[in-house]
Amino acid sequence: MSTLHSKAAQRFLETNKNARWHDDTFWVLRAKRDVMAHELDEWERLRDVACAIKRHTVTHLDRYLEQFVGNAERNGIHVHWAKDAEEFNQTVLSMLRKQGVKKMVKSKSMLTEECGMNPYLESHGIDVVETDLGERILQLMHKRPCHIVVPAVHITQEEVGHLFEEKLGSEKGNYDPTYLTYQARLSLRDEFMTAGAGMTGANFGVAETGDVVVCTNEGNADMSTSMPKLQIVAMGLEKIVPDYKSLAVFQRLLCRAATGQPTTSFTSHFRKARPGAEMHIILVDNGRTDIIGEPEHWETLKCIRCGSCMNTCPVYRRSGGYSYTYFIPGPIGINLGMLKDKVRYADNVSACTLCCSCDNVCPVKVNLSEQIYCWRQGLDSIGKADLVKKSMSLGMKYLFNHPQMYDTALKFAPITNHLPHVLMYNKLNGWGYGHEMPVFKKQPFHEIARNILKDEDKKGNI
Amino acid sequence: MSTKEEILSRYRRNMKVKGQYDMPDLDALNGIEYADAVSQFIAMSRTVGGEVVTLEPGADVNEVIRKAYPEAKVFASNVPGIAIAQRNPDTVESAQELNGTDVGIVQGDVGVAENGCIWVPQTMKERAVCFISEYLVILLSRNNIVSNMHQAYCRIRMTDYGYGCFISGPSKTADIAQALVMGAQAARGVTVILTD
Ligand code: SF4
Ligand code: SF4
Repeated sequence: MSTLHSKAAQRFLETNKNARWHDDTFWVLRAKRDVMAHELDEWERLRDVACAIKRHTVTHLDRYLEQFVGNAERNGIHVHWAKDAEEFNQTVLSMLRKQGVKKMVKSKSMLTEECGMNPYLESHGIDVVETDLGERILQLMHKRPCHIVVPAVHITQEEVGHLFEEKLGSEKGNYDPTYLTYQARLSLRDEFMTAGAGMTGANFGVAETGDVVVCTNEGNADMSTSMPKLQIVAMGLEKIVPDYKSLAVFQRLLCRAATGQPTTSFTSHFRKARPGAEMHIILVDNGRTDIIGEPEHWETLKCIRCGSCMNTCPVYRRSGGYSYTYFIPGPIGINLGMLKDKVRYADNVSACTLCCSCDNVCPVKVNLSEQIYCWRQGLDSIGKADLVKKSMSLGMKYLFNHPQMYDTALKFAPITNHLPHVLMYNKLNGWGYGHEMPVFKKQPFHEIARNILKDEDKKGNI
Repeated sequence: MSTKEEILSRYRRNMKVKGQYDMPDLDALNGIEYADAVSQFIAMSRTVGGEVVTLEPGADVNEVIRKAYPEAKVFASNVPGIAIAQRNPDTVESAQELNGTDVGIVQGDVGVAENGCIWVPQTMKERAVCFISEYLVILLSRNNIVSNMHQAYCRIRMTDYGYGCFISGPSKTADIAQALVMGAQAARGVTVILTD
């Protein structure tokens, strides 16, 4: 007996010759994140504070939302509320129709993905153009993201080359990433110039000022909103931070944790509409006010969608984003999927060795593995605890009964090597069957990181 | 009941989290400080893919820009003293008219040593000039460089236009085969000119 995740993971490993590359690529991101963390004496303090700000904000969200909305409205922004995906999609459509918009450019937003906005708008005759390069590639290929920050990482440059030959008329056989990026730049320029509306997501909404803050490396959020007469922001309720002082903490953590860069190239603050244009913010609930009522799981609302937990997760790295059944994969996706529909997405909870690495990199300290453990404990009650999971949870209990083992990543990760062999290498360990377990190095992480970076440097990858 | 009231009352009904979570004291954070913030800023700007040049006393900024971009033909700016600009983001009819600009020149307010960010508030009608130009020149006073983002967020000001951006180097992407490429959508290169 095995779960959907473990079957998909096995397919990924069998059919994907890039499986090894996939694993290595994410480990490099993880290593770069470590270098960033080690460069700042205050890193752990920042994480503690970020966690505390988020706990405070999501438990006082009504107050901060009112403050944010009051300020945004004073700044001339139209604020709308949507209780679910349907209301969100309808609000966007009616806004576009009112202004006679046929084409909308947009930057990356996990929320629009969550709401299924693109297919909805397309079915109503709106041309939606993704402008993040990775998202654009996937859109042209009719594929979905496999990661929340680097969505098209699993697509090879040859595949992109063939795609652009067909869709953008690029040179045959030219697979050079610089060339291909430039082709996309030229084609997207036309889209920016002619779109009637521009949409962005929101990384943060600042209650004290009403600013919407969007972080990108490409500058596509700014390109999307600097020309059209209509700007729409799609924002989940939990994106609120109290003030600029808090924002500084998250700005410092987000990109360092996500890709190991000291910052994104652009941290854009939108407070008012451009001259002669309109700006709208749609605040979306879609289950968030239910999550706050989950005593074991409300802390998922702290998540800033940095993707760091995916990069570090041995199961994610070795099984790929598509092996999870929820649209957000990896540790946070397992939990968000269960919160969305715990029967439908139950398979994903098996995609975890409880190594706790995710908890230790998360910049806002979401207790990801503990939550996954809780979900597993509850599987019986929803009739989903099959043999595999029962066997797994026995093993997990063994770990959780030894709290000193469950202390920090540095101490904990090597312990995975000491798990009862039978648990790790037998067929009952759903996801581990069919491939080797990752062996955690006993070297401190920063040393590993430095070595990897040195190697990558030699290869010219950084 | 409006959707807003519905959502807020649902939140209040469901908010059963036990324990009181107060705001932490952010003033006690002590972000990283550099003995020489200007050198660190210059080093970081290069790390993130930008160039930095210093405006020597008595030098003409227009000459410095020409020298940095000898091939460029179309310049756009509304910064006083930028005489080489043929286009002005204040007077163009639409943002689209700025397409095809080789070099945009803008004024930055605050530089951040830890990550090479420069706060560029909107001081022009069409902020597209900051993104649509093939290359971007940011003028920044060396006296306005701080060590970290905590300090920067205490100093930045919004203009009446209600938009501002921290820009750190050129637009970049690694979306194709994880290879770093400059100039995905916005400027393909950035030169910071440090003034007094
Ligand atoms: S605890 Fe589970 S979800 Fe988290 S990193 Fe380890 S295997 Fe992945
Ligand atoms: S749970 Fe933490 S590590 Fe994972 S995406 Fe969210 S903020 Fe990042």
